[in-house]
Amino acid sequence: MKIVLVPLDPVHDVAVKMLNREFSQRGHQTILLPPDMKMEEIIEVCQKEIPDYIMVSRTLGYNAAELLGRFIDLVDAAGLRRKCKVVVGGKAITKELAAELGYDAGFGEKTRWEEVVAYVEGKELSEEAQRIKKSKKDITQQYTYQIKDKEFLGLLEKITDQIIDWASERTSPGVERAKIREKILKGENLWDEYIKLCDDLVKSYYREKLVPKHVRLITQEEIDKLNELINRTSFAPKVLRHTTDKPLVFVQYGTGCPFMDAMHIKISEAWGADGVLHFDPSWGARCEGLLEGLLAHEEDGSIITLENLKLIKSALNDATLWCVRAHRGVNTPETVLLAHEAGADLTKINMVYGSLNGGTDPERLTVDGFYSIKLAAKYNMPFDLPTNEELGGVPAPEAFAGMIVVAYLGVKLGARPILKPLFCYSPDAIINKYMEDNYVDYNVGKILALREIIDAPIWPGEPIGFMTHTEDRVQSAMTTALHAALGKSLELDAITVSSTDEAYARGAITTSARIDSLRAIADAFRFFGKTKIEPTKQAYEYAKSIKDGIYQTLKKVADRGDFVASLYEGLFGSKEEGANPGRAGRGTVKKC
Amino acid sequence: MLEKHVIDAVDVETTLLSESEQQARDLGIQMMKSFGFKDVDVVFVEHNGFAARIRLRAYVYRPGDRYSWVDGGDQK
Repeated sequence: MKIVLVPLDPVHDVAVKMLNREFSQRGHQTILLPPDMKMEEIIEVCQKEIPDYIMVSRTLGYNAAELLGRFIDLVDAAGLRRKCKVVVGGKAITKELAAELGYDAGFGEKTRWEEVVAYVEGKELSEEAQRIKKSKKDITQQYTYQIKDKEFLGLLEKITDQIIDWASERTSPGVERAKIREKILKGENLWDEYIKLCDDLVKSYYREKLVPKHVRLITQEEIDKLNELINRTSFAPKVLRHTTDKPLVFVQYGTGCPFMDAMHIKISEAWGADGVLHFDPSWGARCEGLLEGLLAHEEDGSIITLENLKLIKSALNDATLWCVRAHRGVNTPETVLLAHEAGADLTKINMVYGSLNGGTDPERLTVDGFYSIKLAAKYNMPFDLPTNEELGGVPAPEAFAGMIVVAYLGVKLGARPILKPLFCYSPDAIINKYMEDNYVDYNVGKILALREIIDAPIWPGEPIGFMTHTEDRVQSAMTTALHAALGKSLELDAITVSSTDEAYARGAITTSARIDSLRAIADAFRFFGKTKIEPTKQAYEYAKSIKDGIYQTLKKVADRGDFVASLYEGLFGSKEEGANPGRAGRGTVKKC
Repeated sequence: MLEKHVIDAVDVETTLLSESEQQARDLGIQMMKSFGFKDVDVVFVEHNGFAARIRLRAYVYRPGDRYSWVDGGDQK
C-alpha cells in the first residue's frame, strides 16, 4: 500500500511517525509529511503520489471539526476522494466525528497502532490478540524456605519445637468449632454442638433468629440483581507492571457489604489489581462462633460467613488471587476452613501480631494459630504473616522475630508462609529518627535483613506507605506509588496498596479512590521500568541492626523456653513499646 | 454568592457505571447541568468495560471574564 501520512497540526506528529515506522517495517510505501503544512500543499503531494490511503492526524481540539471538514472538501475537489481512502486519527477525533465529516474511518485517542495497521491491511484484530491474558501466580513457588544462618536456625528449631510440643496437647473452642464445621460441611448435622461453643450473640442468631445490631440480611432479589450486574461487568484485563514480573498488586476490601465489596473488587480488577484481601469486622474476631447466611454490615469490615465468601468468590475474575484473613481472632481455624471451602487462594495467620495487637489472648491464639497453620498446609493454601504490631509501636526487629518464628513453624508443619513486613512510617521509626531523611533506607534495611535470614517470599503490606498518607488525593496516590516503586525496585513478590482514602476516616472509601491509587502505581512502574532506587549506606547499617535485633529477640525467646510466656512477658514487644496481650478467648484453652 | 470565592472552576470526580466512554461523558455532562452549572466539560475519562473514572469541570469563570472576586460583586 502507498500511504501519505499527514500531521494536520502545528506541531504534533508523534502518532504519524509511529505509523510511518510500523508501515515501513511491514513493507508499505509511506510518505511522511511534516507538521504545519498548508492544506493546499498537502493536496498537491497527494495528487502527485495518488496514495491508497491519506492518513490525517489531529491532536489539538481547537477548530478540529472545521479544519478537518475543510480538508475533506479539498480532497473531494481535487478528485482524490474516488482514488484513495481518507482516514483521520488523534486525540481530538471520535469515530462519530470522522463519519459525520465524511472520512472513511476515524481512530480516537486510545487507538493502538496495531488497530490502524489491521485496518489498512484489511485484517481483523482477533479478540485474542487484543486481550492481555492474566493468570494466577503462586508467589511461594521459587522459594526454598532455607534458614541461611546456622545461629538463627538453632534458635528457631528450639522455639518451634517447644510450640509444637505445647500446642499439640491443647485445644480450644475455636479449634473444636473448626472440627465440627468440617463435619457439617461433609453433611453431618452437628449445629447444636457448634452453637454450644459460641458466644450469646451467635447463639441468639441461630436459636432466636436475632440479627446482631448493624447487621442486615440480604434478600434473594438483591442477590439476583447483583449477579445480573456482575455478569455484565466485562473489561479488558490490565497489567499494572510495565517491564517487570514483580510485584503483584493486592488491594484490601471490607466495606461491610458484600455487594459494595463486589463492586470494589470489579473496579480494582478492571484497573489492574492482581489480588484482593478480605477484611472482616473487628468484633467478628472477638466473638466466639461465626454467623451464617448472606449478611451486610453497616460498619467497616465484611462479615465472614460461607455464603458471603461464596458471593465474593462468584464476583472474582478467574485470574484474581484471593486472600481471606484469619490471623487475629477467636475464629481463626474456622475462617481458614471456610476460606478454603469458598475457594480462597491464600489466608493470613500470625499469632504474634494477633495476640499482641489484634486483641486475642496469646495462649488461645497460639493453640488456634497452630491448628490453622496445619489446616493451611492441608489445603495447600499459602498464608501471609502481617507485622502490623509495628504500627502500635513495636520495633521492627521484635515484630520480625515473631513473624519468622511463625513462618518457620509453618514450614515445619508443611505450609508455605509469606513474610509481610510493613513499608511504613512507624512510631519506632519516628521516635528514633530512622526516616528523617527519606522513606527508603529503613524499608530497604528491613528487606535486606529478612533476606539474609530466610529464603522466603516477601509481600509488604497492609498497606504499603502506612502513616505516610494524608487525606489529599494526589499526595496519597503519590506516596502509595512511590512505595510501590520501591517494592518493584527491591523485586518483592507482591505489595498491598491502599486507596487514596487511606487517611480518611469519616466514611467508606470510594471506588474512585481505588482507581486513582492504581493509576498512580501504573505510572510509577512505567517511570522506573527496570531501574533501581538506590538507597544510601545507611540502609545497610539498618539491615545489620535489624538482623541483630531479630537475633537478640529470638535468643531471649529461646532461652525463656516458652513461646506463650514470651508473648505475655513482652519478649516480642513490651507494653511500653505498644504490645498489649489481648484478652479475647482468655482461659478457654484446654489440654486434650 | 459562591462566585465571589471560587477562583476559576469546580471539579467533580466520580466513577460511573457506563457501557461506553461516550455514555459516561453524556451522563457526566447531564449530571453537572443538573447541579445548575452551565459551562461544563469532561476533563478526563477512562472507560474500562463497565465503568468510567471521570473528572468533570464546571467553569465559573473563563479567562477574560469579570471576576466577582475582583469586583466584589456577584456579577460575572
